[in-house]
Amino acid sequence: MSLKIAVLVKQVPDHEAIVQIDADGTLDIEDRYVCSFFDEIAVEAALDIRKANADAEILALSVGGKRSVESLRRAMAMGIDQVEQLGDDSMDGADGLAVASLVAARLKTFNPDLVLAGKQAGDDDMGAVGPMVSGLMGMPLVNAATSIDVDADGGKVRMTHSMNAETWTVESGFPIVITAQKGLAEPHVPVVMRVMKAMRAKITNTSIEDLGVPASDSTGRLKRLGYYSPPTRPQVQMVSDVNELVAVLAQRGVI
Amino acid sequence: MACNEIWVVARIRDGQITQAGLQLVGAARELAKEKGLDARAVLLGCDRAAADDLSGIVDKVLWLNDERLNEYDAAVYAGALLGLMEARGKPVAIFAGTNDMDSEVIPRLAAMCGAAFASSCVKIGWEGDDLAIRRPIYGGKVYEELAILSRPAMVTVRPGAFDGAQKLAAPGSVEEISVEVPASSGVTVVERASSAQGGQDISDARRVVAGGRGVSGELYRMVEALADTLDGAIAASRALVDAGERPHGQQVGKSGKTISPDLYIACGISGAIHHVLGMNTSKVVVAVNSDPDALIFAAADLGMVGDAKEILPALAEAIRARK
Ligand SMILES: Cc1cc2nc3c(=O)[nH]c(=O)nc-3n(C[C@H](O)[C@H](O)[C@H](O)COP(=O)(O)OP(=O)(O)OC[C@H]3O[C@@H](n4cnc5c(N)ncnc54)[C@H](O)[C@@H]3O)c2cc1C
Repeated sequence: MSLKIAVLVKQVPDHEAIVQIDADGTLDIEDRYVCSFFDEIAVEAALDIRKANADAEILALSVGGKRSVESLRRAMAMGIDQVEQLGDDSMDGADGLAVASLVAARLKTFNPDLVLAGKQAGDDDMGAVGPMVSGLMGMPLVNAATSIDVDADGGKVRMTHSMNAETWTVESGFPIVITAQKGLAEPHVPVVMRVMKAMRAKITNTSIEDLGVPASDSTGRLKRLGYYSPPTRPQVQMVSDVNELVAVLAQRGVI
Repeated sequence: MACNEIWVVARIRDGQITQAGLQLVGAARELAKEKGLDARAVLLGCDRAAADDLSGIVDKVLWLNDERLNEYDAAVYAGALLGLMEARGKPVAIFAGTNDMDSEVIPRLAAMCGAAFASSCVKIGWEGDDLAIRRPIYGGKVYEELAILSRPAMVTVRPGAFDGAQKLAAPGSVEEISVEVPASSGVTVVERASSAQGGQDISDARRVVAGGRGVSGELYRMVEALADTLDGAIAASRALVDAGERPHGQQVGKSGKTISPDLYIACGISGAIHHVLGMNTSKVVVAVNSDPDALIFAAADLGMVGDAKEILPALAEAIRARK
């Protein structure tokens, strides 16, 4: 059986990019964008699966405007041949459900055995899209997987993931949605040749109309009220003696 | 159909309501009161003792006493909650934890009922009749505040955001409800291994001692010894997990767990934002680091500069002496 794998990717600010709140209350984000950390792990995991299943077909999808194209070029450079942009910049900043709806519409025709996504994106850190795609498609879900073992002929997949105090090994048939946790795969740095090739590649786009879903209306679901600085702790109290430390901890009632 | 309720998805561990669960009920009671709504705990599975326990802290427990809900299955749990909504009406909001299970169930359920979902909320209030939540974005560099307009407003809440619910003067009631329960999603559990490696689960421990690269190898024993003295759990930075020294279940931070103990002692951890994001809602944070300029001190209430090798045993000794 030839496996079909869909991988969902998103372009987000690099984890070291400076993000700050401007005087007018909007966000100022340094222009350093990359394919999201956990999404690259998902891409690598798909490539790992193809190593053992040479006829596996992988399709990378990204929802949104120009930036989403960049994450698809990255997926291409890493080794994925089929990539597709869904929607346009009207989808940038849309909520998880709007994104998941476009993805689900595309997956209905692609018919994947496995859907891989990052466990959360490096911008909104929401962790919504993977589980939401599973809900919309009625597919089983395994979040934050740290290993995937595909038995294509047997039609099943074995995964491990953390479940509160335990690590669970679980098994499922196809199709299934799996989100990637750190440790699932080690994304490799693509070779220059492939990066160049990916830069020149024409990226297919499927419009919202072609997907046949009503235009995204996340504004009816979520309204941004503002941005805030992270909470700060009061100035640290430095102590030089363990007895002094213990006395303060006792006074705070934590020991 | 809608109902004027806020539901809390109650998590029971080892027959006890988790700390995080107590806090969720506390939040639901407080927010329900402001708007004249009713707070309800939803319990899945046949645990009568847990239902009774919950009724001590909330007016009414909605008990889905069905054996098909005894074992966790994301699709089955989401389906049962959807069934409850059909039977009872859509609540105004559903509160759940940031634990591994609710992080699957709640966004899946949100998609099934066409509603928005927000994770990792550190603050919840009202904006008119809508829930307003605050949550970290961009790895914690900034926080956003969102009003959730769709119903039910579905959120997962970070531990430490609210005080645990106090016992009610008169216990509430338990209402047994039977709902449609979908068939298993076909994900079967082959093996369950404790990832705490004999220790406590860090998600629900009151005291946590965490070690980083500064206490790798043999030095980590001192972290374990200090945790023992405190009757606490042991945790680690990603550096030690990546090095294969500690299991992933003990990792605190963005690609690990978010925890909120009463006391968090960070030993030999530099304080990268990815780590801090997993522990910055802890009540009291202590940092022990040989570098006086380490970032971790900015995330701590109390700090000691020095070699962990000397400080940790001395600290354990001083705590024992006090007991
Ligand atoms: C997307 C992403 C996700 C990430 N997720 C996580 C996560 O979930 N959790 C996490 O922890 N990290 C995470 N990281 C990694 C994080 O950025 C840091 O690299 C990591 O936390 C560093 O671990 P550390 O503090 O143990 O090691 P180091 O940064 O090497 O710090 C070691 C510290 O020990 C001190 N030290 C050395 N010797 C001693 C001694 N004898 N006594 C006392 N102090 C000593 C040093 O002064 C130093 O401050 C993530 C990174 C990325 C990019």
